[in-house]
Amino acid sequence: MKDRREFLKTSCRALSMAALATQMRHFGLINALAQDKETDNASGGNYKALVCVFLAGGNDSNNTVIPNYDAGYGQYAAARQSQGLAIARSSLLSISPASLSGQTYGFHPSMTDLHTLWGQNKLAVVCNVGTLMQTLTRAQYQSGAARPMQLFSHTNQVEQFKTAISNYSSPTGWGGRLSDRTANQNGGAAIPMISQLSSGANVFAVGNNSTPLIVAPAPTPLNQLLTLNGFGTATDDFARRTAMNNIRQADLNYTLTQAASTLTQQAINVSQQLSSDPALTVTFPNTSLGNQLQQVAKLMKFRSQLNMSRQVFYVQLGGFDTHGNQLTNHASLWTQVSQALKAFYDETVAQGISADVTTFTMSDFNRTLNPSGSGSGVGTDHAWGGHHLVLGGSVLGGNFYGRPTANGTIFPTLVNAGPDDAETRGRLIPSVSVEQYAATLARWFGLSQNDIPLVFPNINSFSGSDLGFMV
Amino acid sequence: MSSEFNNRPRLRSLVLLGGLFCLALSVSTVLAEENIDAAPIVISQANSTRALTAVSMRQGLNSTTHVFQPGAKTRITVFITNIELLSDEGMTAFRADAEDGRHYRYPLQIVSLAPTAERKWVYALTLKLHSGMGDVGDVLLRVNWRGMASNRVRVAIGHEGDGLKDDEGAQPTPMPDRPPRIEQIDSVGLPFTGDRVRFMEQATFGPNATLENQLRRTSYSTWIFQQMEQKRDANNGLRFSTFPYPNLQLQPVAIPSTCDVICQRDNYSMYPLQNWFFREALYGEDQQLRRRAAWALHQIFVVSGRETVQPSRMLPYLQVLDRHAFGNYRDLLKDITLNPAMGNYLDMAISTRQSPNENYAREILQLFSIGLDMLNPDGTPMLDSQGNRIPTYDQATVNGFTKVFTGWSFCEDTAVCPNRTQGTPNFKDPMLLRAANHDQTAKQILSYPGAVSTIPAGQTGEQDFEAALDNIFYHPNVAPFISKLLIQQFVTSNPTSAYVKRVADVFNDQLGGGIDRGNLGRVIRAILLDPEARGNNKSDPDYGHLKEPVLFVTNVLRPFSPTANIGAPANCNGLSDGVINGVTIALDQDVFNPPSVFNYYSLDYTLPNTNLFAPEFAILTTGTALKRPNFIHQMFGPGTNGATGITIIQNQTITQNQIPCGTRVNLTRYLTLAQSDLTGTLLVDTLNRELMHGAMSPVVRNEILTAVQAVASNNPLRRTQTVIYLITTSSQYQVLR
Repeated sequence: MKDRREFLKTSCRALSMAALATQMRHFGLINALAQDKETDNASGGNYKALVCVFLAGGNDSNNTVIPNYDAGYGQYAAARQSQGLAIARSSLLSISPASLSGQTYGFHPSMTDLHTLWGQNKLAVVCNVGTLMQTLTRAQYQSGAARPMQLFSHTNQVEQFKTAISNYSSPTGWGGRLSDRTANQNGGAAIPMISQLSSGANVFAVGNNSTPLIVAPAPTPLNQLLTLNGFGTATDDFARRTAMNNIRQADLNYTLTQAASTLTQQAINVSQQLSSDPALTVTFPNTSLGNQLQQVAKLMKFRSQLNMSRQVFYVQLGGFDTHGNQLTNHASLWTQVSQALKAFYDETVAQGISADVTTFTMSDFNRTLNPSGSGSGVGTDHAWGGHHLVLGGSVLGGNFYGRPTANGTIFPTLVNAGPDDAETRGRLIPSVSVEQYAATLARWFGLSQNDIPLVFPNINSFSGSDLGFMV
Repeated sequence: MSSEFNNRPRLRSLVLLGGLFCLALSVSTVLAEENIDAAPIVISQANSTRALTAVSMRQGLNSTTHVFQPGAKTRITVFITNIELLSDEGMTAFRADAEDGRHYRYPLQIVSLAPTAERKWVYALTLKLHSGMGDVGDVLLRVNWRGMASNRVRVAIGHEGDGLKDDEGAQPTPMPDRPPRIEQIDSVGLPFTGDRVRFMEQATFGPNATLENQLRRTSYSTWIFQQMEQKRDANNGLRFSTFPYPNLQLQPVAIPSTCDVICQRDNYSMYPLQNWFFREALYGEDQQLRRRAAWALHQIFVVSGRETVQPSRMLPYLQVLDRHAFGNYRDLLKDITLNPAMGNYLDMAISTRQSPNENYAREILQLFSIGLDMLNPDGTPMLDSQGNRIPTYDQATVNGFTKVFTGWSFCEDTAVCPNRTQGTPNFKDPMLLRAANHDQTAKQILSYPGAVSTIPAGQTGEQDFEAALDNIFYHPNVAPFISKLLIQQFVTSNPTSAYVKRVADVFNDQLGGGIDRGNLGRVIRAILLDPEARGNNKSDPDYGHLKEPVLFVTNVLRPFSPTANIGAPANCNGLSDGVINGVTIALDQDVFNPPSVFNYYSLDYTLPNTNLFAPEFAILTTGTALKRPNFIHQMFGPGTNGATGITIIQNQTITQNQIPCGTRVNLTRYLTLAQSDLTGTLLVDTLNRELMHGAMSPVVRNEILTAVQAVASNNPLRRTQTVIYLITTSSQYQVLR
């Protein structure tokens, strides 16, 4: 029999072909083959987890990581100060990345906890990341070279960041595909590898064979996340429960019926697995992100009962679409992010897994360098490449990473209509693709070199799939 | 522009004058109502279930056992009978699969279908083996047609043996000497036939006894006609809803500090529209089909309350959908494009010559009309000589349409905008062109045979607009693209391409020469009356679709006489106020607040591990799966009071009218059945008919009977609740098939 990988490749080719496209359905085929365990590269008990923090709406990373040397701050201030959007230089939390010698930078003043983690070399910045089909110069962009579909549009750019595919609308995300490809490293896990703390369909967590466990954040205890109401101890309750269980095993020859029953069964299995609510050491802030990350920490603490050596989590904080009133809102959002991430990191230390857990940000896009409006209502519009944060004990922290921008360094030039601007309002052309950023994380997580192009089909359009920020 | 384009509006109005005749005439072309349960029979050897096969038609029948070589080049011809084809029905109406001894099920591509020379009632069906099938031995081969599965016959691949056992009850099906007598089931007058219950599930928000009674005495066609006919309100104005739309005023953009929680609920959230919607769904009997159609269109032409915020801004958008639900697609496209909520949602309202925004240009093409790939008339993707899909448009086309849509914005000219309200954008009147903001340069638009693919420079914005919408409307993709999306909303996630083509032909008005192109009423009628939609029992394993949360909830409530909750305020008048949205929110379907332009769930979501479309499964997750039975428990669980939707509003001074009524059900009708037959059989069989098309499998029926008999026989309520709980929590019920 063909091995699974070859089979999948053949099938995928066949799918793009001929009238087969609608006729050709795999039924249970791929699933059954995929379940043939590949034990040759099983990982033997070590643990790794990735935590995606999605800053929904498009974080203004121009006000998150700010040049703090004379020339750099000067350009930043020239672009933003007159409309009142520049953060005062004196308030920046100063940082000195070794990769940009002679230049100092600063975090937004709300990021005090993250600044502490930077000082402990647990936090890294990846500069100017965004959706790309190929690396682009300003001249190439302006002469119509290939670029992602629907730039500057929320829905498309969110989707592309989550799928790591920017030339078509993919039904699977990179988290899901990563889960497909590393499922064999997860032993007999009792629940899906990916857990999502926000509700609703989320393409990041959907793979060809993977769907996420979707659960509510704290304070809902772990053992009350998924409950089936209405069964007491009466004899007829017991009979009804038995009938319900048996009905779920019937009529499985009907595809959609089987799919719905399988999902329900999975939810019931998970509810039985999540049998207690582990206590945590650290007190988390009672915020949206704090509560989501608290639940993540509990699911991590429960990992051995779940027989899991690989976990992926997705949490999300909204409100970053700061077209107006940005100064107040952005400060409050970053206070929340900073405090929640610090509590979460501290909890991983307490659990002894800080080197096994890597937390990273994603967002729709960066925002325009050029503000919209002015005064206290000042805001920014949708843009493109932005800076992202990576946190954890296996992160080579206290440094900036990236690929050269038009100015030769990894940090872009903050000038409207400047060499890194796609247009005129400071929409930075990314120098690092989502694929490179994600592949660096995925490789650390255990994705094999051979599988990288299968999870990131366009990775070979970029120079190098490892940005070097992980050990 | 061609003269055909110029003539179109005039011709259509002629058609509307004679609309009654057109509708009546079109019925007979769609469905012969007899034979709705015919399933194809695959012919076997005389003494076994092994298929009668031929290697090729030229070589004639192979009456001895034949072992086929594995590999995608191998073709097998089998023979099928018991089918009566429509004049244009051919191999695309069929699907075939084969299951090997390890339970792997392989789809088989059909390459030809032709009647045999000697016996016109026997067809030779030629199939291509699946490339993934090795030397697997015996497989069980099945042919599906119109949602009906054939018997399974045995075919040897590589060698004989190693296959599954025959299906239970399988018999040899030898070559017949005369046409098989197709069993006629006369269902007129029989209550709750399987087909009628499925029809109610497809065409309404759920079956109920009153509607069943009406359909039993008339016909689907009559009912559809009654639903589509114009209705007028007390002032003789056209009426598109049973209950009046909520009376909503445009509010200031910033919520006034005086606006308390209830004020915000009623003026800055979708709450009033959600309640109206569920009230319509539960009780709006004369607009059920329009409501379903508008609900389906909302999920294609998506606007979300998440960005629209005010219900007063959302209502005109919903009214466009209501008004055109049975009207013409071209009119719908125009009104939806100029609707201010859409303009706001997809940024056309801020797109100007000076600062163009691509968003609407892209979405109208990708989501509202033609999709990304060129399609054949049956909805399958067209392929180039290398076997690749062919894109419908490129960036230059998007740029062209972007320019077309520049300059339109909210209607703020007091002379022409009757609903303009000082201090807040006008979301009630259609958007208005500001000529100075319109890009008058030449534009590239869609290119296809017969199209004028450029718009010359110097035209007015209105001229550009109409030319561009005609350019979209006459694209050959529109009919299969829209037809398939609507079939998926009403009937099945995976229609055969023959079904798509039959409906697309109606969209294109193939019979009438195209003059009534885009008549959505006729399209919906064709969808519902198609043989692939009708029948008492559908056995194709891939048939049907999952009831999305809204349909799940309303389908569960409507059969059980929903009313206002006990103790509700007087203004509920017996009907509940439709406060059910909290339930569907928990199931990830917050009515009128979809998370993005890609709907509550992606319309092209496929079931993991398969290539089967299963859009509604995008929101059936581990997080929501148990909330379905928990809702059933809330309404029907033994020991509960059967009420939902009660919103507690704290720390507010509230009047009675501000408290939602909630909804409760009434099971009286079934308690009698539970009392009159202490074995529980009458109760179970009645609910099987009324909720499950009578399609409950013997295993499921026995399980439910056992559970019922465990309940004390002197407790008919608990017995009834037990049956309803077990049926409605089952996947067999939740998948409409």
